[in-house]
Amino acid sequence: MATILLEVATPDKGEVYKNDINMLITRSICGELGILPKHANLLTELIPHAMRIKEGGGETQLFVSGGFMEVTPEKITILADAAETPDDIDVDRAKDAYKRAEERVTAYKQSKSSEEIDIDRAEAALARAKARLLVKGVHMG
Amino acid sequence: MANLQHIRRRIKSVKNIQKITNAMDMIARSRFNAAREALLKNLPYVDKTREIMRRVMGQMRGQEYEHPFIKTREDLIAEQQEGAGKFLFIVIASDKGLAGSFSSNVLKEAHDTIEYDGTSENTSLDDDGEEENFHKKNFDALKGIKPTAKRTPKQQRQMTATGGIAKATGRSSGTKTSSGGGEVREYHDADYIEGIELITVGRKATTHFKQRGYNIIKSYHGISERPQYKYAKKITDLVMERFASGEIIDVTLIYTQFKSAISCAPDDVTLLPIVTDDYVKSSANLKEEYIYEPDVVSILNDFLPRRIATRIYGAMLHSAASELSSRMNAMSNATDNAQELVGRLNLFYNKVRQAGITNEINEIVGGANALE
Repeated sequence: MATILLEVATPDKGEVYKNDINMLITRSICGELGILPKHANLLTELIPHAMRIKEGGGETQLFVSGGFMEVTPEKITILADAAETPDDIDVDRAKDAYKRAEERVTAYKQSKSSEEIDIDRAEAALARAKARLLVKGVHMG
Repeated sequence: MANLQHIRRRIKSVKNIQKITNAMDMIARSRFNAAREALLKNLPYVDKTREIMRRVMGQMRGQEYEHPFIKTREDLIAEQQEGAGKFLFIVIASDKGLAGSFSSNVLKEAHDTIEYDGTSENTSLDDDGEEENFHKKNFDALKGIKPTAKRTPKQQRQMTATGGIAKATGRSSGTKTSSGGGEVREYHDADYIEGIELITVGRKATTHFKQRGYNIIKSYHGISERPQYKYAKKITDLVMERFASGEIIDVTLIYTQFKSAISCAPDDVTLLPIVTDDYVKSSANLKEEYIYEPDVVSILNDFLPRRIATRIYGAMLHSAASELSSRMNAMSNATDNAQELVGRLNLFYNKVRQAGITNEINEIVGGANALE
């Protein structure tokens, strides 16, 4: 089976993932993308989500907190602010973050014009927490 | 005759100082290991960002896109000659002293860069590709340009879609020829300083430039030893905002490059604008064009800040590792010196003690002789 090299790098942890894989299913700002070997050159921005990596018959998940993806026929490079394998994720912390972010978002929606809440940040935090929990198989609201 | 007690006291104080410097040495050593680790972990990310940047720039050039942040060398020189604006410098130094000449080196480099007049040698370390200081390298063409606050921004540099990028429609031919070929730049005058904005990282840099009356738009303290990516992002946001306003025409980063535990040197690089020529030389060009999703403008608007944040973060890590290695060296030197000083003082102490004893014996013998 044809393979393509996947490299995921973050500023703090260096190369988080490097492996030959069969398929990558990821979510860009335009929607879900499935990348197979020999894909055309592509540049896109990723949203916080759990990527699905298919390799050697199995499937693993990797959380990325948004980032940038470059695809060439032989190689996928992902530059993420943070990337975590399921083992690295702290469920309790993610749950706390989820609750905090959710509270902020609801508070914003109720007061409408509240200046103190940075809605973009809160929503991004919510999306990050959601994706983290999804990797662990925990579904929230 | 030197007082014995006095010498004893000195020996004791030197020993105490030695204990302190030794402890600081060990602290610096362990922090340095962490800083070096962080630096090494950051490298793959930096390399990958640079690779992608090269490939994208290689294509940009072929396409003749016009983006306010990306220019060819000619265009950039022409633009800077046309209308001068403010220069923004980011200086990364340390919060604390006791690191040998670390702070003074980087601050000296900052002054050399800010007040560059073409006479001193271009000290920018990497002249290969994009790691250069654009302003210094092209100084001959830019000689007449002074940073000035008096510029009225001709147009806002647009970051939003469609406004920024359009197929190049033939630059306006009204480019004025360089007016100030032989003009000499005057530094230290109020005008010049007004045309400069600074972002400082580290208390040392802040106090240094504040004393000299520079305009510091933002300073970051308490992060120099253990940089975090989020601060690099914040700095980037500020830089992008200032640059997009059109007042700033040149952003330079001054930091200390870490080479090894015993060698580091200050370096300066131009962050913005981005010069495409440099990327093309060394790029492994792709044969086919990228598919940009959703479109090239959004991608660049996301990618350029990322690239700049990466460079700032990289510079902060370099600076942290350099600072700690300098402190390590300074402190281990101080400990060695203290050791030597204690040895010499001990010798002196014994000599004085012996001289005292000899003296006393002489006196006794002399007294006994006088009695006979």
